[in-house]
Amino acid sequence: MTFNEKIVNVRELKHVEGKIELYWIYTSGEAGDKFFKALKDEGKFLASKCSYCGKTYFPPRIYCEYDFSETEFIEISGEGRVRAFAVATLDSYEKPLENPEIYAIIDLDDTDGCIVHLLGEVEIKEVFIGMRVKPVLKPKEDREGRITDILYFKPS
Amino acid sequence: MKMDMDMDVNIKKNYPSYVRGREIKAEDIEEGRVSYNLHKPNIIYSFTAGQAISKFLNGLKEGKLLATECYSCNRTLFPPRIFCEVCFRPIDKWCEVKDSGVVETFSISYIDPDAKPLEKPIIVAVISIDGASPKMGIMHILGEVEPEDVYIGMRVRAVWKPESEREGSITDIMYWKPAEGD
Repeated sequence: MTFNEKIVNVRELKHVEGKIELYWIYTSGEAGDKFFKALKDEGKFLASKCSYCGKTYFPPRIYCEYDFSETEFIEISGEGRVRAFAVATLDSYEKPLENPEIYAIIDLDDTDGCIVHLLGEVEIKEVFIGMRVKPVLKPKEDREGRITDILYFKPS
Repeated sequence: MKMDMDMDVNIKKNYPSYVRGREIKAEDIEEGRVSYNLHKPNIIYSFTAGQAISKFLNGLKEGKLLATECYSCNRTLFPPRIFCEVCFRPIDKWCEVKDSGVVETFSISYIDPDAKPLEKPIIVAVISIDGASPKMGIMHILGEVEPEDVYIGMRVRAVWKPESEREGSITDIMYWKPAEGD
């Protein structure tokens, strides 16, 4: 094919656009279900404690991963300490954020687990590792049984 | 079989409650009895047609079926390619083929792409195009014919959209109709 037979005007090059319809439902499981219901209905944080070794799981599990014993649910305060944090200046589409978000791993009191969530009511410069934080929940009527029912953690 | 069932019961008896699990029904999700997350990714794509097929699709707008020729193996490639896959060399010439052909194989579909029942079945056929090399053709639908009257080897002719409605898509040909005696 000679060069002048090739399409050089890009507007003459064809393309087909398509969309793949796809969705899925991810259930929280037995323990996750209890956790989210307690969060939604009572604004409480649940963890689960192994009845044999005493390890406390957060998020709660229905059995201990180390000795396969059953666990029991316990209520915790939801307060904790910042283990690590990162500042996001872009959103998930890489567009600049007007207000940068602070993501933190928070070790919750009385548990061996942690949670990854946002920090709020705090300046970026003031955040430090080991900072005490407590959760701020949505008003009860807005809660829908999701992790976003917790708006953010604020210094306490 | 009996033994398998007995073992199943034993497993259920001897293991802790969490091993048994809990069955979730569609209603549990719909009525919000269990907590869940619904994910709906936005998966969009754009498939580029490339040099040869772009030219072919633009040709459809003018009511032409374009093909390419390879002088080495003397084949007429349809749908057109810019590279001969047998001789491993670029094609030599563009040419036009007729908008008629022969039904190579066909299938009658009673459902649409979403597996919903169709009121009127559609007949999908592979059509060998006149003027192209043997067994070269496209997949399209047949019209103006009853499913029971279709047969392999049936001569068909393209029924085009009015020129004003064509947009350079394979659907510029609405369907192929029987052309016995043409």
